[in-house]
Amino acid sequence: MTDNFSRRDFLKLASVGAATTAILTGCGPASRYVTREPYTQMPEYTYNGQSTYYATTCRECAAGCGLVVRTMQGRALKVEGNKNHPANLGKTCVRGQATLHGLYNPDRVQDPAKQSKRGSRDFSNMDWDAAIAVVADALKNTDPAGVAFLMGMAPDHLFDLVSDLAKAVGAPTPIRFGALGMFEARATLGKAVENLFGQAAMPFFDLGKSDLVFSFGANFLETWLAPVAFTRGFANMRRGGGHGRGTLVHFEPRMSQTASKADMWIPITPGTEGLVALAIGRIAAEARGATSAAFENVDVEAIASASGVSAEKLDELGKLFASADAALAIPGGAALAHSNGLETAEAVLALNALVGGLGRAGGVLLAPLAPMQTEFSRPANIAEMADFVEKMKGGKIKTLFVHGVNPVFELPKSLGFEDALKSVGTVISFATFPDETAMQADYVFPDHHGLESWGYQRVAAGSSQSALSGAQPVVSPYYNTRATADVFLAAAASAGGALAQALPFKDEVEFIQSKLVALVGEGDGYFGAPEINTFTAYFQQYGGWWKTVEELSTPSGDVLGKAIKVGEAKFAGEGEFYLHPFVSPVLGEAGANKPWLQEVPDPTTTVMWGSWVEIHPETAHELGVDNDDVVLITSEAGAVEAVVYKYPAIRPDTIAMPFGQGHSAYGRYAEGRGSNPADLFGEQVNDAGDLAFAGMRVKVEKTGKTYPLARLESRMGVYGEALGEEH
Amino acid sequence: MTIELKIPEYSANWAEGEQQGKWGMAIDMDICTGCQACVAACAMENNIPFVGEADSGYGRSMHWIRTERFWEGEFPEIKMTPYQPVLCQQCGHAPCEPVCPAFATVHSQAEALNLQVYNRCVGTRYCANNCPYQVRSFNWRDYERPEPLPNQLNPDVTVRRRGVMEKCTFCIQRIHRAQDQAKAEGREVADGEFTTACAQACPADAIVFGRIDDPESAVSKLAGGARGFHMLEELGTLPAVTYLKGG
Amino acid sequence: MVKRFMSWLSDPLGRIGLLIAFLAVFSGAAFGLYTTQTAPPQPIQFPHALHVGLEIQCLYCHPGAYRQASAGLPTETKCWGCHQQLSKYADGTVALPAELQKLKGYVDAGQPIPWVPVAQVPDFVHFNHRPHVAAGLNCENCHGNMAVTGFTVAENPQVMNMGWCLECHRARTAEDPEKRTKLLDCGTCHY
Repeated sequence: MTDNFSRRDFLKLASVGAATTAILTGCGPASRYVTREPYTQMPEYTYNGQSTYYATTCRECAAGCGLVVRTMQGRALKVEGNKNHPANLGKTCVRGQATLHGLYNPDRVQDPAKQSKRGSRDFSNMDWDAAIAVVADALKNTDPAGVAFLMGMAPDHLFDLVSDLAKAVGAPTPIRFGALGMFEARATLGKAVENLFGQAAMPFFDLGKSDLVFSFGANFLETWLAPVAFTRGFANMRRGGGHGRGTLVHFEPRMSQTASKADMWIPITPGTEGLVALAIGRIAAEARGATSAAFENVDVEAIASASGVSAEKLDELGKLFASADAALAIPGGAALAHSNGLETAEAVLALNALVGGLGRAGGVLLAPLAPMQTEFSRPANIAEMADFVEKMKGGKIKTLFVHGVNPVFELPKSLGFEDALKSVGTVISFATFPDETAMQADYVFPDHHGLESWGYQRVAAGSSQSALSGAQPVVSPYYNTRATADVFLAAAASAGGALAQALPFKDEVEFIQSKLVALVGEGDGYFGAPEINTFTAYFQQYGGWWKTVEELSTPSGDVLGKAIKVGEAKFAGEGEFYLHPFVSPVLGEAGANKPWLQEVPDPTTTVMWGSWVEIHPETAHELGVDNDDVVLITSEAGAVEAVVYKYPAIRPDTIAMPFGQGHSAYGRYAEGRGSNPADLFGEQVNDAGDLAFAGMRVKVEKTGKTYPLARLESRMGVYGEALGEEH
Repeated sequence: MTIELKIPEYSANWAEGEQQGKWGMAIDMDICTGCQACVAACAMENNIPFVGEADSGYGRSMHWIRTERFWEGEFPEIKMTPYQPVLCQQCGHAPCEPVCPAFATVHSQAEALNLQVYNRCVGTRYCANNCPYQVRSFNWRDYERPEPLPNQLNPDVTVRRRGVMEKCTFCIQRIHRAQDQAKAEGREVADGEFTTACAQACPADAIVFGRIDDPESAVSKLAGGARGFHMLEELGTLPAVTYLKGG
Repeated sequence: MVKRFMSWLSDPLGRIGLLIAFLAVFSGAAFGLYTTQTAPPQPIQFPHALHVGLEIQCLYCHPGAYRQASAGLPTETKCWGCHQQLSKYADGTVALPAELQKLKGYVDAGQPIPWVPVAQVPDFVHFNHRPHVAAGLNCENCHGNMAVTGFTVAENPQVMNMGWCLECHRARTAEDPEKRTKLLDCGTCHY
């Protein structure tokens, strides 16, 4: 190009030419490049150009909601709820809707691969025969005590298969873990039910028929246990049925999405939820003219000063609770994540006993076990995970299989899982996405995406009917992935001996059928079939099998007979602020890699594509920070940087951080975005072994950096505001 | 010499006193939990592109439906206003329509909806400027969908390109599909036979969609109740979306 | 830039350059126009006339037209299902013609045949076959008479543009104002 005619000018001229061509021809030639490729062999149930719908199970969390996926020409187009499914009755949450962005995610693991050095991201592809040989070798030639399986909370069929496999090898029982289970405080809830009612079970909170709900930290409209089912219950409570419009009172230091729907939000001092429950119990008992040993020695004045809820307010709340027709008290979430969390859970559950809410419509019942389930089960709590990490550190684990969970990201950093991996001989990950744990593995043998998979999931919470949700592939696998169940079965077959005998199945489907056979001939089912093949066909068609009758049971036990004690919550660390972590209501534990979920605004802050720390505006003023300033948060266990969001509905002595971002891997949409509060978590646990993640004090320091958060609440564009630019 | 311009005089497509359209929606703000399932469902059904962090920050995200919330009062007496899902109100008397120089924003006589005809749109953005509900979004770029994400695109909905305005259509593709199905079977579309993507996903069933001109439909019954109001009613835009007050 | 462009234009070399650029744009456009007016090359020269002559119904291979938006293309197993049974080829008395060998090649390889669509509308138009068939239109009304001797791969008998669509919609709804509203509504096809 000459001096007076630059390359830039040439490009401008060239683009004018191209545009002229396009205008003159009406973009004609472009359409000629289209080809239409019909099926070579069309599946017989497909009609060319017409949608086919398949029932399956959502795998975005472990709740087991039924989906019906619209497909066309072998592509999955839209996720809809399964109307007949008792867990969600045709509805889905935001994560369920976005599951297609997982299926067609550009960053999926596409082939089985070996990593040259852990963390190097230098993967060389293998073929599946070699991959199966690696698994077979690990199963056969490792000392059984040194084989460990770390599984996620879904899917259940794989957990059953791995349990059988572990038994056959003589390896320890597989461990299940999920960050949601940790944030839900599932172990605490289960333990409290066991302590009070003498029976370990998942409680069923009958929101829909209740007219007054006191929720102590349970964020049941967001991610807690079975949010779709609870949202339905909440809507029914508001619609009122026989009672008139129901009332929701929510106790939480920060106004969560659930709290924002409450008629009364009580910004309680963290860790005093159990005490407040006791005070309410005492006042309610008096108001009802009942004396109950459980709440006898409660000092309302002391609780008022500890909790920051005035004695008058407590009195009002207690009388309100006593006077309702169908009052319900729910313990959950951060309220149980304190050193006194188990006591809190017991105190709150006891409130239900006080107003006759045990076993009553609109009260607390016990959820039925899922079909084929013999006893209540729960994921591992942090105490058990800490033991497991200790075993790893001690070199006792030679081979670790990881599926459906991302412990490097989800576990508190202070547990040292990532370091402990160094003492494990071989790490094999079955991750569908390149998550942090897969990056620290020797091998990644990718499982299909949930929508490409067979399986079943037990519906643990939210359904009054005993339900087993069924999964089937709605599209054929997009990449060279293989069902982990098939990998284990093939490895067992090639290892031979006792292993092959224990798992004599040709593939995953045959294994699933071997379990489902127990349901053939079972009564009260949504469908029945005389033999297994017909049963399996219906199981696929309807998306699972469930009882048509409710099977809730009434909790029993002398709950109110002896005084309930709630100790003072202990806080780890020295800082001046309470830290209140919560699961991002949009992203959940594993949604960060789905681009449309990133662009869905957080309900309360409207932040997109990022994470933040919520600070009360006055506190922010005192700290000298403003929106979009980056602060350093230091706990006893670690430190993270986070962007300030001035949140008007949080206690001035508390800061809150969402969990879900802060990935160092997990694909282009998640990596390097926001910060992870799990890096701040210590190891303090409550009496049920659940992490006391809310029992922390932290320091907040200004860093002088800023990072503008994308927020929907300003359609004018927050960048212009933050950077002083005009756009 | 005088040139006779053969431009027809513009007249709006609504009649004075026209109260109801054909399709309507009722949104119960007392029940809406702000869970955003409708937002994701809409994006998945209607091929809405995601714009990324930077463009989101500039206020260019393409949501056809969003939940609004505001704050009232100061801590600890602070209240959040009930979540309000805001989408195109499908006005009977739409401010966006008369300002479009390309007649890309027109009123559908057959379905009584506000249409956005993508192939006519030249991107003046007058309509968005004139929309009091701020529900129109503009394709500032050809937003990237890396392979294999395009596999998920709904073939019933146009994939929009750069320079085109877009907005909620009341899932007109579903309306057409249901009407076509009913016609093929020689019957009328039944109330509740189909619904929009947002209403279908809503876990609380806070969104109800149907024929607003049929007094027996579920949406008419809800919209006619005492709690119903229209957003910015005073502007006289005759929205087809009725909100039900909290409490 | 404009100023630089003008000064550059005063240079004779610049003028020649401009001429070349103009010719390039013009010929490109002319070629583009030409391609829109010719039938695209197809992977197989499918003789429509022959099949129609054998009295095979259109809907046998394109059954979607009867009940849905897309008429559909037959799977190659459907093609081969008939052709492999033709006894003159099966017993080897007649060698398989070149076009059928191509078909067999696709079938053997399990590859789809990459047909180039001829009758197509842009992305922003949603055409549905079913109501058109239900309204009593025959395939040849829009797609032309495929039975004309020598007619091979389909070619459009007319330009399929909006004026052509609306002409028919107007003519056929002259007596029915309600239907006319529906069939002239932008939202009926554009969404």
